[in-house]
Amino acid sequence: MLEMLPQWLIDWLGPDGIASLAYITNGKHLSWYASVRYTLLAACFGAILAVVFGLLGAAAKLSKFAPLRWIGDIYTTMVRGVPDVLFLLFFPLAFEQGVEYLMAKLYCKPEEIAAATGWPLCQSAQWYLSTTEYMVLACFSLGIVYGAFAANVIYGALKAVPKGQLEAAHAFGFPSREVFWRFQVRQMWVYALPGLSNVWLLLLKATSLLSLLQITDIVAWADRLGAPNYSPLAGLVHADWRWKYYLVLFIFYILLTWFSEKFFAYLQARAGRGMARAN
Amino acid sequence: MDSILNAPFVHDLVTLFKPALFNLYFLLLAVPFGFPLAVLLALGKNSKNKLLSIPASTYVYAFRGSPLFIQFFMFYAITLALNPGVWKPLGISWLMIHPLFIGPFVLVLNTGAYAAEIFYGALRTIPKGEIEAARAVGMSKWQEFRTAVWPNMLRLAWPAYTNEVVFLFHSTTLVYFTMPVINEQKDLLNKAGELFEKDYNLFLHFSAAALYFLVISIVIFFVFNLIYKRLTRHLNVDVSLKIKPNYIR
Repeated sequence: MLEMLPQWLIDWLGPDGIASLAYITNGKHLSWYASVRYTLLAACFGAILAVVFGLLGAAAKLSKFAPLRWIGDIYTTMVRGVPDVLFLLFFPLAFEQGVEYLMAKLYCKPEEIAAATGWPLCQSAQWYLSTTEYMVLACFSLGIVYGAFAANVIYGALKAVPKGQLEAAHAFGFPSREVFWRFQVRQMWVYALPGLSNVWLLLLKATSLLSLLQITDIVAWADRLGAPNYSPLAGLVHADWRWKYYLVLFIFYILLTWFSEKFFAYLQARAGRGMARAN
Repeated sequence: MDSILNAPFVHDLVTLFKPALFNLYFLLLAVPFGFPLAVLLALGKNSKNKLLSIPASTYVYAFRGSPLFIQFFMFYAITLALNPGVWKPLGISWLMIHPLFIGPFVLVLNTGAYAAEIFYGALRTIPKGEIEAARAVGMSKWQEFRTAVWPNMLRLAWPAYTNEVVFLFHSTTLVYFTMPVINEQKDLLNKAGELFEKDYNLFLHFSAAALYFLVISIVIFFVFNLIYKRLTRHLNVDVSLKIKPNYIR
C-alpha cells in the first residue's frame, strides 16, 4: 500500500519515516483506529437514550400522581450517592441475569435446577453475549445513568419556560397533554442546552469505560498495542510503549471535548435566535 | 440478634468494611492536596499575567476534557516507563509504582483541575465593591486577598466544591480498575465484584457496596454543610446544601 505514495513524499519521509508509517498502519493499528466506532456509537446512542430517559424522568418528576413523582425523584437522586461506574457494571449484568433466569425457566429441567450450585442454573440457560449485544447493553446503561442527569436538567428547563406561554396555550383551548408536549417541551430546549451540553461531555468521557463491559474499544486496543512486544524471530520489537498510546487517547478525548463545545456553542446560538439576551 | 448478624446483607456489609477504607484513604489523601493545587490553578487562570494564565487554563482544560480513566492509565504507564531509568536508581521504585501512591496522585491532579474551574468561576463573581473597598482603605495586595478575595471565593464556591468532592469520592472506584491489585488491597467495587463471582448474587453484593457509597456521600455532605454554615455565618440567612445534582462536572 505504501508504494502508492507519491515519490516526493517517500523522499521527504526517508526510510525511517516510511518504517514508522508502515508500523502505525499495520493491521493491528488499523483495528485500533476502527474501534473508535464503538466509542462514537456508544456516545451517540447513549446520548439519545439519555435524552429519552431524561424526558421520562422529568415528566415523572412533574407528574400530579405522587408515586410517579417519587419514582422520578429517586431516579434523579440515585446518581448523586452512588458512582456511575457501579451502575454501568450493574445494569448489563442485571439484564443478563434476568434473561438467563427466564431461559432457565424455559429450558432447564427441574432436577437440573435443583442440582445447580452456581449461575446459570443449567448449561442451556447460558447466554453468550457478543460485542453487539454488549454494545446495546452499554448504550442502555449509559442512557439510564446519564438520563438521570439529563432529567434534572430538563426538569429545571421545563420550569424555566415562561408561565405566560403555557397560560396562553391553555386559553386557546389546548388540552393539558398538548400544552406539555407542544409548548413546554418545545420551548425548554433553549434553557436545557447548556446543561445537556455538560451531560454530553460527561457521557463522552464515560465511553472510555466500555472496556469494562468486555468491549474491545480504543482503551483495550491501546493496552494491547502498547504492551512490551517480544517476538521469537525479531527479538524485542518494542519496550513498554503504553504511555505513548494512552497519551494519544488523552489528546483524542480532549479534541472530542473541544469539538463538542464548538458544536454546542453553535447549537446554542441557533436555538437562541429571537430570544432576548442580557448581554 | 444472631439471625440479623448472619443475614447475607449484614455479612456483606462486614466484609466490605475494610475495602471501604481504601476508597476513603484515596479521598482523604486527594482532598487536602487537591485543594491547594486547585486554589493555585484558579488564581493562575484568573491572573492578568499571560505566562501564568495560559499554562493554568491549558492544564484545567486538558484534565477536565479527558476521562479520569485514561488519566489513570496514562500516568501509571508513564511511571512504569520511568521506573528502570529514574525511580530504580533513586531507590524510590517501591513508592512510585505503588497504586496507593499513584492513585491519590492522579486524583489530586484531576480534582485540582475540576475544583480550579469552580474556584475560578467564584473568583470572577466576587462582588466588585468589596475589592474596591479593600483598595480604598489602602490594603496591600496580600491583605486584599486575605480579607476580600479568599473568604468570598470560598463561600461562593463551596456548594459546587462539595459536589466535586462527592464526585471525587465516586471516582476513587476507578483506581483499581486501572492498576494492579496488590495482595488484599481491594476497594469496594473490587471486593463486590469478587463476591459476585463466587455466588453470582448481583443484587446483594452491589447494593451493599452502593449503600457504603451512599452513606459516605451523605457524611461528606453533612461535614461540608457544617463548614458552609460557618463560612456563611455572617450572612444571617439559613443556608444548607442539598443533595441535589449540579451539572458542572
